[in-house]
Amino acid sequence: MIRLHNVSKVYPNGVVALAGVDLRIERGEFVFLVGPSGAGKTTFMNMIIRHVLPTSGQVIVNGKNVVRLKPWEVPYLRRTIGTIFQDFKLLPNKTVYDNVAFALQVIDAPGREIRKKVPAVLDLVGLADRANELPHQLSGGEQQRVSIARAIVNSPTVLLADEPTGNLDFDTSWGIMELLLKINGRGTTIIMATHNKMIVDRMKKRVIEIDKGKIVRDESEGVYGREV
Amino acid sequence: MRFRTFCYFWSEALRNIRRNVNLISLGTIAASLFILGAFFLIILNLNHLTDNLTSRIEIRVFLKDGVTARDREALKTRIWALGGIKTIDFISKEEGLKRLKEQLGDDEGILTAMDFNPLPDAFSIKVAKPESVKALASRIARLPGVESVNYGHGLVERLFALVKAVWVITLALSVIFISAIIMIIGNTIRLTLIARRREVEIMKLVGATDWFIRWPFLLEGMLVGLTGAIVSAVALYFLYGFAVRRFMSALPFIPVVTGGVALRQLCIGLLAAGATMGAIASVVFLRKYLRA
Ligand SMILES: Nc1ncnc2c1ncn2[C@@H]1O[C@H](COP(=O)(O)OP(=O)(O)OP(=O)(O)O)[C@@H](O)[C@H]1O
Ligand SMILES: [Mg+2]
Repeated sequence: MIRLHNVSKVYPNGVVALAGVDLRIERGEFVFLVGPSGAGKTTFMNMIIRHVLPTSGQVIVNGKNVVRLKPWEVPYLRRTIGTIFQDFKLLPNKTVYDNVAFALQVIDAPGREIRKKVPAVLDLVGLADRANELPHQLSGGEQQRVSIARAIVNSPTVLLADEPTGNLDFDTSWGIMELLLKINGRGTTIIMATHNKMIVDRMKKRVIEIDKGKIVRDESEGVYGREV
Repeated sequence: MRFRTFCYFWSEALRNIRRNVNLISLGTIAASLFILGAFFLIILNLNHLTDNLTSRIEIRVFLKDGVTARDREALKTRIWALGGIKTIDFISKEEGLKRLKEQLGDDEGILTAMDFNPLPDAFSIKVAKPESVKALASRIARLPGVESVNYGHGLVERLFALVKAVWVITLALSVIFISAIIMIIGNTIRLTLIARRREVEIMKLVGATDWFIRWPFLLEGMLVGLTGAIVSAVALYFLYGFAVRRFMSALPFIPVVTGGVALRQLCIGLLAAGATMGAIASVVFLRKYLRA
């Protein structure tokens, strides 16, 4: 499903965000990406949706080398991947409903489908009664759930979740984890970057630890950090 | 494309225009197109005038006294041989006098007062290409038996030179005005891009195609160009009609293009030009951004 061969990323300012990463993630897996701030987790995710190109190496998603995609193929790659961005990326002047619907509108989805799917995902993330509010009228955690709703509304085969519980208390976080588990249970591959030790330890899923752009640990039923 | 998507493109374009387009930019676009259109009308009229004059142009070749009929025929053959000639008519001195009298009408008394015919024999030559009149006349003047040559004082040449000069000016102005219009429309596109940066970023990240992103900008550019063009075309249409009426009553003997098909074509051309420039501006200014 997702393969990285010797992938490195050096940003134009000289920062080495990833250095020689080899990785294989199979269909339907649930993977935690952990590591200190600045380790390269967001860079890794941006590379999978080809928002960032590797400096060297190959990134293969669904059997396709994303580096070699033609410009017109990129949107179709992105339609198969849902992304929960670390900074939400919500539109401040659109309602909750419109923010979620936007993701379907701009890929020219039928109106029928939009009217059916948007309320369904809003219900799923528990925001059905906030549909007509603007993002600034919501709490941080509620905004995060809007961005989750938008990421899953198009039934992606891969869900990239960049700290989806970053602003939440434990109970709400756990609610979101149950939601992600449910989505994962339907066959969606989930890659989640997080600093939340309690959650990682409880879930007992595959854990990949990145430090300074290198994979330093990859365990199938791992915990957040090595025991000291 | 779905109807909803089609409506979305238009509503986005109109919203962006309302936000970022001001009267100054629209006015500048309209004024530029108006000036260009006016220059094309001037060219149209100069061409009309040239056509009109060239159909009347002729070289008058006056023969030396005492040239025999045989010499005359020989000369005629040599003139034919120079090429580029449509017709050659011989006008004897008697015939010339008769025509002159007809032209003078009531004033023919001046001539009857003279007891001899002052006119020489002459050829009247119509040329195939008016541009070649001068060269041809000077070659004919060097032939034996020719006293002098008259070809309308080079009026046509001067008219041709004028048309050429006006063309050069028009083309130079076109380059300047077209770049200016593209910069102005490009700037409104740039403002829209800045205002819509977040939307466009999210659109790209959730998998909108480049064309989906491009359409509202393309419509915006074309609508702005078209609006400016409509203003200029309407102004040109009515002002030209007014100007022609004034001109014709002041100088009725100078032929002018009174409008009609030519004017309508020019106006349609202006509309097409405005919309095209808008489209070019939006594609050019978006290109850098979309590929980023
Ligand atoms: N666009 C960019 N240009 C230059 N440097 C960048 C850019 N994006 C990220 N970096 C740098 O690359 C490194 C990795 O960044 P990245 O965002 O991938 O880290 P992260 O693991 O997601 O961190 P966090 O846990 O804080 O989100 C950091 O040192 C960061 O400063
Ligand atoms: Mg990050």
